[in-house]
Amino acid sequence: MSFSCLRNVTRCGMVKVSSSGALVSKLGGPCVAREVQTSAPHAAVAQHNTKPDWNRAVSEAEKIVGYPTSFLSLRWVLSDEIANVALHLRKLVGSNHPLLKTAKNLIYNGKNNMQAWGLIVLLVSKAAGHSPEIPDMEQDKAAGVLHSQRALAEVTEMIRTSHLVHKGLVNMNAPQVGPGDPDDMMFGNKIALLGGDYLLANSCSELANLRNQELVELMSSAVRDLAEAEFLGERDEQNNPLPSRPLPKDHMEAPLEWECVLQPLPMGGVAGSARREWAARHVLAAGALLGKSCSATLKLAGHAPALQTQGYLFGCHLALAWQAFLDLEAFSGPEPRSFSLVGAPLAFTLQARPELYELIEQGRRSVHDVDYHKLYEAVMAGDGIEQTKQLQREHIRAASHVLDSFPNCDARTALANIIVAMHP
Amino acid sequence: MACLSPSRLCARVQDKLMCQFGHKVRRQTVFVKLKPPGPTPLRIFGRTCQRVTTCGPACGSAGMGPAAAGAVRRLASSLQSTSTGSLPDYGTQIVDPYRLLEDDLNGIYEDIRSELERNTNQAELNTIATYYFDGQGKALRPMVAILMARAVNYHVYGENSALLPSQRQVAMISEMIHSASLIHDDVIDQSDFRRGKPSVNVLWNHKKVAMAGDFILAVASMMIARLRSDEVTLVLSQVVTDLVQGEFMQLGSKETENERFAHYLTKTYRKTTSLIANSVKAVALLSGADEATSELAFQYGRNLGLSFQLVDDLLDFVSSAQAMGKPTAADLRLGLATAPVLFACEKYPELNPMIMRRFQEAGDVEKAFELVHKSRGLEQTRFLARKHGLEAARLAADLTDSPYQKALVVTTDLVLNRIKCVRVRVRVRVRVRVCVRVRNNVPTHNERANTSNVYRQ
Repeated sequence: MSFSCLRNVTRCGMVKVSSSGALVSKLGGPCVAREVQTSAPHAAVAQHNTKPDWNRAVSEAEKIVGYPTSFLSLRWVLSDEIANVALHLRKLVGSNHPLLKTAKNLIYNGKNNMQAWGLIVLLVSKAAGHSPEIPDMEQDKAAGVLHSQRALAEVTEMIRTSHLVHKGLVNMNAPQVGPGDPDDMMFGNKIALLGGDYLLANSCSELANLRNQELVELMSSAVRDLAEAEFLGERDEQNNPLPSRPLPKDHMEAPLEWECVLQPLPMGGVAGSARREWAARHVLAAGALLGKSCSATLKLAGHAPALQTQGYLFGCHLALAWQAFLDLEAFSGPEPRSFSLVGAPLAFTLQARPELYELIEQGRRSVHDVDYHKLYEAVMAGDGIEQTKQLQREHIRAASHVLDSFPNCDARTALANIIVAMHP
Repeated sequence: MACLSPSRLCARVQDKLMCQFGHKVRRQTVFVKLKPPGPTPLRIFGRTCQRVTTCGPACGSAGMGPAAAGAVRRLASSLQSTSTGSLPDYGTQIVDPYRLLEDDLNGIYEDIRSELERNTNQAELNTIATYYFDGQGKALRPMVAILMARAVNYHVYGENSALLPSQRQVAMISEMIHSASLIHDDVIDQSDFRRGKPSVNVLWNHKKVAMAGDFILAVASMMIARLRSDEVTLVLSQVVTDLVQGEFMQLGSKETENERFAHYLTKTYRKTTSLIANSVKAVALLSGADEATSELAFQYGRNLGLSFQLVDDLLDFVSSAQAMGKPTAADLRLGLATAPVLFACEKYPELNPMIMRRFQEAGDVEKAFELVHKSRGLEQTRFLARKHGLEAARLAADLTDSPYQKALVVTTDLVLNRIKCVRVRVRVRVRVRVCVRVRNNVPTHNERANTSNVYRQ
């Protein structure tokens, strides 16, 4: 399905996410870092050097919504549970547990990744404004957002962080657990699991305090989508994702329409189709949460369902554009030692040259066994990168289109700047 | 008599028995899947089978209930409650909560499974998430929730009140939250068996298992939200927060000796009791009861839950000793000091350093186990459990008299006298010799009526 279809869909007020026009997600750094662990430093460095605009766009945007995005990090310092986690984390120093890397990414990359999500929710809140009926007491006048919207932005960050932390567990059930003392790994798992649960539990009570049950349902469905994301497609022993074997066009199942707000995302026609599989994967892993958060914040402001739907699409498309941007980064600098096997450039390349799938199959035990050099060369030689750029442009256009329906204001400009900063 | 309870299991046996009139004793060999023969709950509580003789068939194998599979176990445990002697006498009628709620509880696991299935298109996620909803659990939480719902409805609206669909949803949600926490516990504790089958962490990728736990919680939250009640959502979200905080409390033992017991009780409240207490409060809120009644419901759940966990901690010491012939004491091995140990260390202060190092040195577990048995720790734990049980029963007595209200009272006894579901349950086939005395006046051959008649007498 094409992009125009998406627009039709939005016009009639239903959220459908079309097959190809799809949503993408670009998960932030930590996530990709975990999937292909060695790529983390490269990605971070590349982002820093080549996209100075990004940091500026974000820090200017933060000024617009008041103080640095949220008090979440401050609350962490003050919480017994997190202090407890920090204490136990120390015991893990020197072990190989990925929780350390997750924690480091959350702290050092905070601005670029984790907090950026809350920031976008706040910017959307401010750009759309709110209904005049909402009493002054419930507003943060200086920042132009509601207190409830700020709480929601925190929930978004907590859900996302909790998911990242849970994704960072080590599978102790694999024949080869990898380097590191099993006791350390087990202990790290315990801390990671409890730490993630703590964030999840906190988001439950924050949401409950908003006293809006439709909102609770919507945000809970985003948590469900994140969990589903970890089951999509083939996996290696540590649950790192592998692409499915590309199917020839005539063997593909007819794609189902994605009317995926509260219902789980249908998987018909997903496996083996480059665009659709990539879209499904990242809608579940990122687009759903950002989209639903944007939609929820408009609900809190008392906007009509049609605009809430627009908010959902904006978040989804932005997340997908962001993911495409991340996927491209691996191929824009010097050759990285490894990169995401489920990135769009590789997906398009595999679709064009199915025989390359043999290389992927070497990674069935561990993604580290894959010959990244050969895959890299294949991607560089084909038109995968160009198609990814095209894909990203589609999502950027779709996100910008939604943005146009908001009144012109500083928050809208800030959002536009963030979008521009990721232009290919 | 508990041996007779699984009427479905022993239908054939009973069929024959019912044909026997007079004081004939018939012996039958029945094969049942059993946990290793634990001590009878009756003995734990220093009681004798006072009512056994009046219950018709005598208990040949000393109250060893064939507490194997779910439905069977439910019946069995409830039947034992008839022999504790601490119940108010309702004449010939003893209310069995599980039987009373048979229609409400029927299909509750199926409903949970289909709710989960509706919420995912990933086959493996569905498999892991539904793994513990196979109907093998005791379904204690849903049972108590529905019981309270019906009792409060009766209290507020009188005899013609019915169970609200939303209240049944809360019952399902309580079991889902419980299972989600079990799934995460399995990954943390690396347990091998649960509910008589390999635990989730043995079978699947741990990352996926963790996600499946999150998934169940998410689906439960969606169900909560669909009830469209701000109060209920707040009450149930408190449960999730409590569960996690309880887990954190279990991580460290930094508190002094004086604070330790309070710490233990708070931890117990958060990890076990909060779920029961808040879900019964939620059903009371849904029925539209006034504040006093929902507070009563909450306090009932709190006392019942504390009593439940205290018995659990007690049985960890008792059942393992007799069943395995050697101490297993799962809690000690996990480094946890539960009530029996905490009581014991009043008499044996040498337990203190062991508690502080979480029983990690060689011989600690065995030594602590021995000291607990030498002390009055088990007795004191039992006393405390009974105290909370009685308090719960007292609270339940304040509700309008109804079968459900009576069953709430019976439940407190059921919890005190239940058979331990051993964490690592070894599957053994035990030959049980069932000795049944059939009395002259057993009225009918009708199989369905058998059990109920039997335990009404």
